Amino acid sequence: MSGLRLRVGLAVALVGFFAFLSISNFVPQARRMESPLLPDAGLRLGLDLQGGIHWVLGAKLDVAVAQELEALRQDLQNRAEEEGFALAASKVEEGRLIVSVDSAQDAEEVREWAGRTNSLRDVHDDGARLEYALLGPVRDEVRKRGMSQVLEVLRRRIADPVHGIPDSVVTRQGDDRVLVQIPGGQIDRSRARELLRVTGFLEFKIVKESDQTEELLRARHPEGLPEDTVIAFERDKETDRVLTAYLLEKTPAITGDHLKDARVGFDRQQRPIVEFTFNTQGAKIFGDVTGANVGERLAIVLDDRVYSAPVIRSRIGARGQIEGRFSAQEAADLAVVLRAGSLPIPVEIEEERTVGPALGADSIGRGLRASVIGLVAIVLFTIGYYRFSGIYASAALFANLLLLMGIMSLFEATLTMPGIAGIVLTVGMAVDANVIIFERIREELRAGKTPRGAIATGFNKAFWTIMDANITTLITALVLFEYGTGPIKGFAVTLSIGVVTSVFAALVLTRLMFALRPGTRPVESLSI
Amino acid sequence: MFFEIIPDGTHIDFIGKRRIAFAVSGLVVLAGVLAVPLQGVRMGIDFAGGTEVQVRFQDASVGEGAIREVAGACGIGDPSVVRYGETEAAEFLVRFRSDTASTAASRDDTRCVLTPEQTARLAAVDEATGADAESDGAASLVDRFTQALGNTIGPLEVERVEYVGPRVGSELREDGLKAMLIACLLILVYIAFRFSTRFAPGAVLALVHDVLITAGIFVLFELEFDLRVLAALLAIMGYSLNDTIIIYDRIRENMALRTKHDLIEVLNLSVNQTLSRTLITSGTTLIAVLALLLVGGEVIWPFALAMTIGIVVGTYSSVYIAAPTLLFLENRLDAGDAAQSSGARGAAAQPQSPNRKSRQKSVGKKSRARA
Repeated sequence: MSGLRLRVGLAVALVGFFAFLSISNFVPQARRMESPLLPDAGLRLGLDLQGGIHWVLGAKLDVAVAQELEALRQDLQNRAEEEGFALAASKVEEGRLIVSVDSAQDAEEVREWAGRTNSLRDVHDDGARLEYALLGPVRDEVRKRGMSQVLEVLRRRIADPVHGIPDSVVTRQGDDRVLVQIPGGQIDRSRARELLRVTGFLEFKIVKESDQTEELLRARHPEGLPEDTVIAFERDKETDRVLTAYLLEKTPAITGDHLKDARVGFDRQQRPIVEFTFNTQGAKIFGDVTGANVGERLAIVLDDRVYSAPVIRSRIGARGQIEGRFSAQEAADLAVVLRAGSLPIPVEIEEERTVGPALGADSIGRGLRASVIGLVAIVLFTIGYYRFSGIYASAALFANLLLLMGIMSLFEATLTMPGIAGIVLTVGMAVDANVIIFERIREELRAGKTPRGAIATGFNKAFWTIMDANITTLITALVLFEYGTGPIKGFAVTLSIGVVTSVFAALVLTRLMFALRPGTRPVESLSI
Repeated sequence: MFFEIIPDGTHIDFIGKRRIAFAVSGLVVLAGVLAVPLQGVRMGIDFAGGTEVQVRFQDASVGEGAIREVAGACGIGDPSVVRYGETEAAEFLVRFRSDTASTAASRDDTRCVLTPEQTARLAAVDEATGADAESDGAASLVDRFTQALGNTIGPLEVERVEYVGPRVGSELREDGLKAMLIACLLILVYIAFRFSTRFAPGAVLALVHDVLITAGIFVLFELEFDLRVLAALLAIMGYSLNDTIIIYDRIRENMALRTKHDLIEVLNLSVNQTLSRTLITSGTTLIAVLALLLVGGEVIWPFALAMTIGIVVGTYSSVYIAAPTLLFLENRLDAGDAAQSSGARGAAAQPQSPNRKSRQKSVGKKSRARA
C-alpha cells in the first residue's frame, strides 16, 4: 500500500510541477522575472501569433568570391608592373579570373604568379587565355568570411541589445542564409528593409580623450563637451558592457568608401595583425591625416560603435596595418568590421512571413476558442459515455494538457498557430488510449470477470495497442520536425510532446486512479 | 449494462462488402490520380513561390476592382484579388507570382500614387539593399503597392505579407516530398518490425490509401496544397494506422483463440468486436478537428479540412481495406502453399484444410494477446 502511496505522490508532484509551470505563463514575463517564486522560463509566442517580421535572407556570397578574385587581379597587375611583364587584358567574370597575354613568356610569368598565390587553380590555359578559379578550401574560406561579415552587420543593426530592435533575432541558417525575426509592431516593414543594407557605415575618427565610462569622461568637462566632438563606446562583444568611452572628433578623418580591402596578416613575430588597403584617393587623404596626427589614436567606428583605437605610429598611405595584442579571432573580427564598411555583400529576401499584431491576436483568440470547444465537447462525451470512468479519463486529459504546456514552458518552446492545432489534435487523440482501455474492460466484464480482474486485464492487453498507435504518430511528428520550417515546426513540437504525455496520462495516471478507487476493494460493479 | 453506441453482439458483414469497397476506393484514388494531369494541382505560394498580401480597409465599401487597378498600376501583372474572412469586412487577399511583377516598369506610372516622400524613401531603400535584382523586387513591390493603396483608396492595415522566392519554393517542394517518403518508409519499417509479414501489406495499403484519397480530394476540388496541408497529410499517416492496429491486434487474438473459424468469419468478428472503439477513438479526434475547422479561422482551415477528411477516410479504410487485404493475401498464399506442398507430396488429397489450419496457427503463435 505504501508503494501505491509513493507512486500517487510522485504523480501528483509531477503533474503539480508542470501545472505550476503552465499556469505561470499567464503572469506577464516581466513580473515572473521579478518574483523569486515564479519560474523565468515560459512559452514563447511565435511571430504568427504575436505579429512580426520573419525573413529568410540569402547572402550573395558569390560577390565575396568575386571581390577576392578582384583583389588577386590587382595584385597581378601590380606584379606585372613591378616585374615588367605585360597583360593584354584581365577581368573577373562568373567566379573566374581571366587573363589574356600576348607572349608565351608573359604567360609563364602569370602561371608562376598564380602558383605562388596558393589560392588559385587553373581551369583553362591555351597559352593566350588563362582562366583561374579559387581553390576549393580558399573559396570556402572566402564564403565563410563573407557570411560572418553579413551576420556581424545584421546582428549589430537588428539584434544588438542596445542599438537593435528589442527581442529580435538574427541567426545563421545553413551555409548562406540568415533568419531574421523581428517581433510585432516595433517597426514598419519598409523601415525594416532599410536595415538589410549590409554596408556598414565605417569611419575613422581621431580620438580626443578616452576613459572608462561616459560619466568619468563628462566629469572632465564640467562646462560641457568641447565643440565638434561626440562620445562613442567600445563594448564587450558578449556582454555589451561598455569597455571604454571615447571622445571623438565629430567629422570623420576618412570613411570606409575609400577602403579597398582588409584582411588578417601576420607580423614578423607571427602575431596576427589586420592589413588594409585604400584606393588612390583614400591613400592621399589617409596619408595627410595620419601624417598630421602621429602619436594620436585613431578610432575605427562602424555604425557608431568603436571597434578599435590603435595609435598612429607613422604616416600611412595606401596600405596600412593595425597591430595590437590580438588573438587570431580578434584580428579576424576586426577585418570583418573593416570589410563590412567597404566590401558589402548584398542579401536578398528569399522568404517572408510577416504578420500584423491584430491578425496574430485574432489567431490566438480563435485557437483558444477551438481548444476550449474541443475540450468541452470531448469531456462531455467521455463522461456521458463512460460515466464515472469518464471522469478519470477527463482528469487524465487535463493532466495531459498541463504536462504538455508545462514541458513546453520548461524548454521555452515556441507556440505557433499550427502548434495550437497540434494541441487541439492531441486533446482529441489523448482520449483514444483511454477509450481502448475502457472498451477492453467492458468486454472483460461482459465475459464475467470481476471489476478488479477486468481492470487489470484491460490495462495489460491495451498496452501494446496504445504504444503501437502512438509510436507511428510520433514517427511522423519527428519527421515533420526535421523537415518543417517556421510555424509548421511548432505543430511538430506540440504533437510529439503531446503523444508522449498522453501515453503517460492514459497508462500511468488513469491506472493510478483505478488503483485508488476501486483499488483492492471488492466492488460489485464498475461505472464504465 | 453500459451505455453503448454499438450494442454487444452486433454482427455486420463488413468483409462481404469488400469488393464494393475496393471498387469505390479504387475509383476515388484513380479519379484523384487522373485529375493531376487533367486538372493540374493547385500549389500554394509555399510550393509555387509568389507573394501574398492580406489587407484590411477601414472603409467597408472597398471592392476588388479598385485594388486590382492599383495593383496593375504599381507593376503587379496578374494579381488575384479575393475577399477574405467570414465577415463582410473589407478584407482582401492579393496574390501574385514574382515573374508577373516588375517594379521597374511601374516606377513612372503616375496611377501608382505615392507621395514624393514615400518615393524618395523607397528609392533609398531599394538602392541600399540593391533591390533592383529580380527577386528582391517583390519585397520592394509590396511596399509600393500597400502605400499606393493607402493613398488611392483609404486607410488600411497590412495584416500579412508572405513571400516565397523561387529557390525556397522548390526546396520546400522537394523537402516536402522527401518528408512524406521518409515518414512512409519509417512507418513501413516499424510495421515490418511489429507485425508479421501477413499483416504489414494491409496496414501499408490502408495508409497509402488514406493519403492518396485525402490528397486526391484536394486535387479534385481544386483546393490548395501548402505546408499546412503537408503537415496534415503527415499527421494522417501517423493517425490512420491507429484504427488499423486496433483491428489487427484483435484479429491476431481471435486467430489464436479460434483456429476452426473461417477466416472471413474471424475478420468480421474482429471488426465487429472492435467497432465501437474504432468509431469512438476516431470520433473524439474528429470532434477536436471539427472544432478547429469551424472556429479555428482561415489560418488553420486547410489543415483542419485535410485532417477531417483523413480521419474519416482512415476509419473507413481500417475496416474496409486493411482487414479484407488480409483475406486476399491469405487466400493467395494458401493457394500457393497448397499447390506447392501437394506437388511435392505428389498427392492431391485434402490440399486445402490442413494447410489453412497450420497457417492460422503459425500466425496465431506470433501474436500476443492484446486488446
